[in-house]
Amino acid sequence: MALQKFFQRVKFISKIIPTLLAVLIFLSSLGIGGPEKPDGETLRYKGQLLSIRRDPLTRAPLIIRGIESNLLELKNFSKLSRKEITHTGPLLVSKYQPLLQIGPDQLKLKGAEKISDTWYVSYWQTFQGVIIYESSLGYSIDLRGRIKSLGALLFPHVQAPVTSKVNHDEALKIGQSQIKDFKKLKCILLAESILIYPVKKKSSIDYYRVYAFNFFPQEALHPASVVGGWAVFIDTQTGKRVLYEELLKPLGCCIPEDWVPPKPEEMKPKW
Amino acid sequence: MVCACKEKTEKSSLPKLGTAAIDFNFQDLRGQTWSLDKVRGKVVLLRFWADWCPYCRYEMPVIDKYYRKLNKEGFLVLAVNVKQSAEVALAFTAQLDITFPVPLDPDGKIARRYGVYAIPTNFLIDRQGVIREILIGEVFREEAVLRDLLKDYFKFERRGEEK
Repeated sequence: MALQKFFQRVKFISKIIPTLLAVLIFLSSLGIGGPEKPDGETLRYKGQLLSIRRDPLTRAPLIIRGIESNLLELKNFSKLSRKEITHTGPLLVSKYQPLLQIGPDQLKLKGAEKISDTWYVSYWQTFQGVIIYESSLGYSIDLRGRIKSLGALLFPHVQAPVTSKVNHDEALKIGQSQIKDFKKLKCILLAESILIYPVKKKSSIDYYRVYAFNFFPQEALHPASVVGGWAVFIDTQTGKRVLYEELLKPLGCCIPEDWVPPKPEEMKPKW
Repeated sequence: MVCACKEKTEKSSLPKLGTAAIDFNFQDLRGQTWSLDKVRGKVVLLRFWADWCPYCRYEMPVIDKYYRKLNKEGFLVLAVNVKQSAEVALAFTAQLDITFPVPLDPDGKIARRYGVYAIPTNFLIDRQGVIREILIGEVFREEAVLRDLLKDYFKFERRGEEK
């Protein structure tokens, strides 16, 4: 009798398995294109439930989401000026400083734009006032002044030189010498800056203080030209090249008939 | 329509309008593998971008708005990040609350195959896998441009709303 019951159960289970599988496949397909699920860890921070996804190497948060509540709610948001909105980053960093592991004074505004009633605000992280290459902290603010989540690429424990041993002109010459046919191509220096350049290794990060140069051949300046440029980073301590990369052109559309080449300060640098 | 660089595009190796989109396999930020052949039947906006390009940044919310609206009707956005790390791309998509798939092209191989020389560059691929539009440079900050582009493929009831 018991054996019969057992076989009946097995029969029943084997009948419903294909249906269950189909349901599972259907449910998983719904995930495509849907909102990002809370991935990574969840933790309670000052009584607030948060979802955090961390950078595997630095352990700094890449994403923080409020699960039951927003990260920040701005009072009288509709009355805030653009300038006040650009000050929301330091507020956010102050509130979540132990998680973000950087201070509010380390932010430098990258951009703030309002698109369809939503503000999009982003910053670079700085080290001793110098921008860290590819670092970011940004978020959107909805029309009610709510910040629900943030995205970040932060470097919590930067150890980098604070002065340069190689002078600028020397570094520029080294940078120019990296480009084959620099003179023939009539290359122009379109952007330059001192940056902290983090190079990720297996279990650590090397931080270089670099002279960052963006060079473009004269021909590339026309938006219709398919010619690109180069990013060259020279170590301020040794004068050695630490990055050489072909650059795609960032392009605003379209080309007006009275187009004139942009001035260097109008070009968007790669950092 | 090839926007921006009509006169000189013949110099680049951009694919020609009306030809089949080049297939490729890639992984997105969620680890999902995509292939253009596998999404045949959908209208695909294949987009190349990087986070340091400000023109790329502020188009994203507009594109995402239409992706959320039309995804169930077969509109797919594949926004290929060019030559950056997964962490950079992930932080960026979280900042803008983007929901569409973001494939990674860390060495720029896919961008080269598509002849991309400036960012953003967008390719609109129809349900048969044929390239119908190439748009170079920032064009979608004005929502109407994207809406007009999609109106041949999706029904819109009123301005900004799909049927």
